[in-house]
Parts: sequence; C-alpha cells; structure tokens
Amino acid sequence: MNDVKFQDGLIFEVSDLYYSYDGRRPALEDFHMTVRAGECMAVLGSNGSGKSTLLKILDGLYFAGKGCVRAFGQELTEEAFQDDDFNAAFRRRVGLVFQDSDVQLFLPSVWEEVAFAPLQLSVGREEVLERVESALSTLNIHKLHDRAPHQLSGGEKKRVALASVLSLAPEVWLLDEPSAGLDPRSVRWLTEFMLAQGQASKSIVFATHDLQLVQSVASRACVLDEEHHLLAEGAAADILANEQILLAANLI
Amino acid sequence: MSFKPFRLRIPKGPALYYLVFAAWLVTTAMHIPDGYLSPVTSAIMFVLVLPFWALGVQKLRQKANARNIPLIALFAALSFVIMMFNVPLPGGTTGHAVGGALAAIVLGPEIASIAISTALAIQAIFFGDGGILAFGANSFNMAVVLPYISYAIYQAISRNAPLVSRRRIFAAGLGGWTGLTTAAFFAGVEFGIQPILFHTANGTPLYAPYPLAVAIPAMVVPHALIASVIEGVVTALVLAYLQRANQPALEMVQKTGHVAEAAGPVRLRTLWFALGVLVMATPLGLLAPGTAWGEWGATELASLGLGFIPEGLARLSGLWGAPLRDYDLPALGNASLAYVLSALLGVAVIAIVFWLFGMLVQRRALAGVKVRKKLHE
Amino acid sequence: MNKVHSRRAGFIERTLIEINSTLEQSVFAESIARRDGLLQSIDARLKVLTTLLLLLAINLSHSLAVLAGLYGLALLLAILSAVPAGFFIKRVWLFIPFFTGIVVLPVFFITPGPALVHLPLGVVITQTGAQAALFLLLRVATSVSMAILLVLCTSWNTLLKALGVLRLPGVVILILEMTYRYIHLLLHTANDMFLSRQSRLIRRPSGAEERRMAAANAGVLLGKSLQVSHDVYLSMQSRGFRSYPRTLDRFRLQKLDLWYGAAILALAIVAIWLGR
Repeated sequence: MNDVKFQDGLIFEVSDLYYSYDGRRPALEDFHMTVRAGECMAVLGSNGSGKSTLLKILDGLYFAGKGCVRAFGQELTEEAFQDDDFNAAFRRRVGLVFQDSDVQLFLPSVWEEVAFAPLQLSVGREEVLERVESALSTLNIHKLHDRAPHQLSGGEKKRVALASVLSLAPEVWLLDEPSAGLDPRSVRWLTEFMLAQGQASKSIVFATHDLQLVQSVASRACVLDEEHHLLAEGAAADILANEQILLAANLI
Repeated sequence: MSFKPFRLRIPKGPALYYLVFAAWLVTTAMHIPDGYLSPVTSAIMFVLVLPFWALGVQKLRQKANARNIPLIALFAALSFVIMMFNVPLPGGTTGHAVGGALAAIVLGPEIASIAISTALAIQAIFFGDGGILAFGANSFNMAVVLPYISYAIYQAISRNAPLVSRRRIFAAGLGGWTGLTTAAFFAGVEFGIQPILFHTANGTPLYAPYPLAVAIPAMVVPHALIASVIEGVVTALVLAYLQRANQPALEMVQKTGHVAEAAGPVRLRTLWFALGVLVMATPLGLLAPGTAWGEWGATELASLGLGFIPEGLARLSGLWGAPLRDYDLPALGNASLAYVLSALLGVAVIAIVFWLFGMLVQRRALAGVKVRKKLHE
Repeated sequence: MNKVHSRRAGFIERTLIEINSTLEQSVFAESIARRDGLLQSIDARLKVLTTLLLLLAINLSHSLAVLAGLYGLALLLAILSAVPAGFFIKRVWLFIPFFTGIVVLPVFFITPGPALVHLPLGVVITQTGAQAALFLLLRVATSVSMAILLVLCTSWNTLLKALGVLRLPGVVILILEMTYRYIHLLLHTANDMFLSRQSRLIRRPSGAEERRMAAANAGVLLGKSLQVSHDVYLSMQSRGFRSYPRTLDRFRLQKLDLWYGAAILALAIVAIWLGR
C-alpha cells in the first residue's frame, strides 16, 4: 500500500455510503465526501447523526454496507484488511482518537499506552523508546508517564490519548468529538495542537458539534442532519455562515 | 517421608463433638489455600490439569467466534457469582456451588474448564481466595472434574431426547449434582492423603491434618446434601429457562460435543439481566450466621458465616493501606453490600476478560453489522 | 461524607458508596508500592521468582522451627520495605489463617499421642495434635504473608508484566492488564450511578424500592461493561493490534537485585535443607 501513488492527493474518497448497525435503520445513507492531503475537514452534526460511525468506517473498523470508501486510492473492505501488510500500512498512516478517553486508554500506565501503537506495528525497540519520549514531550505530559489513566483529569487523559496516536506519527488524524468535556484551557491547547499538525501537512477529519472549534481549525466542512443524510459539503467558512443549514442540522 | 499408616482412633466424649465440627468446617475449603497440600501434591495436580487447559484453549481458538464468546464470558461470570452463594451448612459454616455444570452443558466441557479457571484465577489474584501453589488443585477440582462429569451424566441421560424436553432438565440437574459431589470427593481425597503420605517420624501430619476417613465424608456429605443440590437445581432451572427463552444457546453444543455456530440470535440481554438479578440476590446467601460459636465480633461473624466475598473484599481494601472498615459498620447491612459489589465487580471483570480474549484469538476484523446486532439483542 | 449522611438516602446506598470510595482509594492508591523500601526496589520478575521459591521452601518444610524462621523472614522483609508491622500482621492473620485456626482446633485434642497439657473436664491437648495444628497454621500464615508482600510492594502494572517471566502467554498478561484498568472504571461508574440516584431522592426508599434500584443499576452496569469492551477492541485494532500483543520489556537487573536474589536463594536452600 505504501507504493501506491494516489491520484490528486486524495486521502479519502467516499461515495454512496450506506451503513446500518442492525440491518434496519441506517446510521449513514447516501453519504459522499472527499478529503485531500493537508485539509482539515470538520464533520458537523448533532448527537446521533452518524459522525462517530463515519470516522470508524474511515478507520477501517466498520465496513460499508453499500457504496465505496477509498483511502489512498485503495478500497477499504474487510477482505483487504485481512492482508497483514495492508493492515499494517494503513494503521501506520491513519490514527483515530476516540471520543471517550476511557475506551482509548486501556493499559495500566501512560507510558505503556503511548508505546502500544508503535510496538504493534513492529517498530524497533530503540525507536519505540524515542517516539514515546518525543510524544510525551510534545504533549507536555512527561511527568505523568508512570501514572495510571484513572488518576488523571479529563484534560490530561485527552493529552495521553493524543500522545498514544502521535507515537504512530500518522499522516491522517481522525478525531471524534475532541473538545467534548474539555475545559477552556484544554480546548485552547487542543486547537493549537490541531493547527500544528495541519502546518506539518497532516490531514485531519474531525467530528464535532463545537462550531467554535470548526471556526478555529477547519478548512472544509460537511454537515449531517438528524436523519443521517448529508446536508452540505464545502469550505468551512461558507458552511458556518449558512444559518439555514446549521438550523436544519440542529447545530444552533 | 515414611509410609507408616496413620490410624486415627476416635476418642469419645467432647472430642467426638469437635470432630464433627471439624468435619463440617473442612467443607468450607473448596478453594484450597496454600499450606493444606504438600508441594508434591500441588505439582501433581498442575500436571493433571495442564492437558485440560491446553485442550480448552485449543477448542477456544478453533470454535470461538463473535457470537459464542459473549456466552462464554457469561458463564464464567455466572460461575463466579454462583461461587459466591454461600449455602448455610450444619455447624455454622457454608459451602458453595460452582456453576460449572451449566457451563459444561452450554459450552462443552473443554471451554467450560477455561471459563471456570478464569473465574478461579480472578478470585485468587483479586480476592486472595485459593492459594498460588494450590491453583492447579483448585482448577482440577472445580474446572475439570465438575464440568466433565456433569457433562457426561447429562449426555448419558438425555441421549437423543429433543432439545426442549423435560428429560434434559432432569439430566442437567442430576449432572450438576453428580459433578459437584465428585469434585468435593476429589478435594476430600487430596486433603485426606496428606496425613497418610506426609507426616513426621512420630506421625504428626505436616499439611491438612484430617485423614481420608474424616476428610472424604466431611467434603462429600455437606456437598451431596446441600451444595450439590443447589448446583443441580440451578443448572436445571437455567436450562429450563434456556429451553423456553433462548434455544439457540442450547444448540451450540451438538451431539459431537463441539461448540458450533449458534443457529439464531442468542438473546444475551435477558441472560445478562438474569445474571444481574442473581447478583442482587446473593445477599440471601448471607443469612447463615455462625452463632454456634458463641459471641463473635462483626468481622468474625462475617468471615465465619458469610462466605469469602466480604472477607475477600475487606482483604482487598486493606491490602493497599486502608484500615479495616468492618469494625465500624453494622454487620449485616454492609457485608451484604460489599458482597453485592464484589459480585458486580467479578461479573464485569470476567465479562471483559472473555470478551477481549475472544477478540484476541480472532484473526479477522469483526464486521460491524454482526457485532452491533449482538449488542442490540 | 457528611453531605451523604444528611440526605435521606437509604443506608444501602450510603454504605455502598462508602465501601466504593474506600476501595477506590485503597485498592488503587498503591501507596505502599511507591514507598522507598527494600522490596520496592527489587526487579519485579525477581520478586515473582523469589516469592515462588519461598513458597516452595515454606511448603516443603518438615520443621516447625524453620517455618517460624521463614515467617520471621517475611516480617523482616516487611519492615525493610516500609510496611507497618502491625498492619502487616493484622492483614495476614485476620483471614485465611484465622479460618484455618478454627478448622484445625479439634486437631489439638483428637490426635493421638503423648499429652502436652491437661485441661479440666478430662480434655487433653496432645503433643502431636499441637504440632499438626501449628504446622498447618504456620504454613498457611507464612504463605499468605509472602504473597501479600509481593502484591503490596509491587504496583499492579509492573507485577502483571513481570508474570511474563513465568512464560505466561503475552495474551493472558494483556488481558490481566486491561482487567485491572477496567475494574476501576466500573467502580467509578457504579459510584456515579449511585450518587446520581441519591441526589434525586426525596424520601427514604423502601427496601423493595432499594432492591429494584440496585437491580436496575446492576443491569446498566453489565450493559455498559459489554459496550466498553467492544469499543476497547476497536481501539486496539485501530492502533494496529492483530491477534497477539507485542510488548516491550523494560526490566533491567541491577546489583541490588543480584544480591537480593542470591540471598533469598541461599536462605531458601538452607531452609529446605534444614527442614527436610
């Protein structure tokens, strides 16, 4: 997968996506989206509109019922992921930060959490140690390295969650409601972190209903309504200015 | 180590009375702590149980899939909870059922043995119940003898009877009773041979001090009369419930004894709810205070009559620095809550352990639809 | 906890919360594991092995004197590791050995052998009986002491990783690690559920109501744990996990470890030889 040259710097290409958890009610229907390299795409929608599901599909954790999801030019299917090389290559390039840090952090110490991802992807021992140090410093949590996650505050947990993906050094960040439950200071450093990643030419897709965050970091946005349909896709500024759409999606 | 036969001459009078008490008391040691068995015995038990563990893990890897795993977790948790039901026995002590028969019937004995061993390991690590050197013996008794014997009896009696038949209910009950009683017998043998094989030159027992003549009846009789009956009844009742409400769960183990794909959706939510009710009902097991021993303080009452969870919990809490709270709290109310909380904990822990273990042995990523379907049932 | 008591909540909920918060503090505080003592400084893998070795010595001994000596060793290690002696003794003796003491009481009287003590009413404590009882009691107490020392002086995280030295499969260790983490999460959730329920109470609920609420809470808790474990698996997959975990061993043996290991090995050998 590393050798495939993707067209036009397209990271994600989603068309006609249909997904349902129980085979009856759809979580996503007729969904389209494209994300290009270096973009910061906000997926807007109120609770239950399907944003989380979309991110998990983009991360190859769930697979489309109907329609096509491509990443780096390759289609994401269950069969494709059965190939160890494909799986490893994809997982190295894309990192997902879950909304609930308690789900993301499942090991007994912060250090182990941050080391987990590179270890699973067969990064050498010395490099793992380096990456962990670097991730801990970038997020300014070095002093927490031997603490257990349940001893941390919400903001600290979020930093650890981000560090645990940063050690992967992914090209693409998928963030599920990153600012949910964070205090104002934490939201500020989160904003800075996302901007810094953008400046390092990383691509970001983040799900949120926090319009402030969208305004601060997003270059593009798409909107889901409560019936799980795509309402709009376009430049972030345009979407934010469109009160009609925001009202229809129950965002304001 | 000489092999002089060690004969116990039973003296009359007060000693006899004490002997009877001792006999009942020994029954509380179904979870064998370290010190009761010689290392030689412990080692032999590990050797005996190892092939069964290997077999169980192999079966798990072959047959486990997204739908079966939660059921395996459920039965490990059920086993954990049932082990908390401390049944009052004459003499002021308690014995307990294990839930292994049920697990064997639904999952097959190989995987059931893994489920119960996990429950036992969690009890040993988190609650200090059961020794470390003795883990092999405990696993052999409760995670091998029990499920295999129960399963054999169940199969022998139900033969080709339809899946939803009263014959199977009876078979399950009898299987449960036989399995647990046999497990108790094995434990009794393990205890009873200690003074015979391991004693000093002048005949002093070095480990468990009661010979076979005392240990075997002391283990077998209370279990046969009470704890095994509970095991049989619980097994039968739950099987009857499954016949009515969740047949696919029964179809998982076919005649060949292999865990196969469940034919239809397995309604886990109801089973989990039943488990939740069981958990809440465990305080019933507390109603057996050891007043026969005269005046005791709150803690002693708790540890004598009320089973291992309150003591295990207090031990757990004290283990890392907090003072023993038992002394401040009224005995019954808080013991029962500590009890319930432990049950919740144990159930949740086992659920997670197995869910994750199941995920871990799979090579394929779970398809979203299948998984979600299960959760919504 | 004053606020809790002043509200007219059922005593069930009140005490459950108390127990809950005690557990949270005590179980996970790991305060003793963080102290600067002997055992805290020893490599965890070595501690696992030496504990097993000592358990073996304890259970092989045919001499009461050796057993007493090994118990003394446990006490010494406890003191050297900043474990308060009174606490340690209470912790060990108040449970399994206490229970064992009761089990073994009749043995004093019924074991045939030369008399040791004559009590009124013709009851005799025999020498062999006293010995048998002491053997079991000391063995159980000393075994429990060693196991407790290991667990008190090692943080769970490290201890679980150290079990790898026993050639436990990495998968099993990973499961145990995650289990440790999620016990706390569930405790927290249960605590929150009860607290939130309590804050909405107007009058003291009846016993039946309390049981119903407790049952409902149990159901919710179980449902949540299922959901969490599913999501955790997704999270692991997302970070590259396949079917078995790869781990990084950060254990390093130092001089102190080698001295300690040698000392325990020597003591164990002496104990086994003396007690044969």
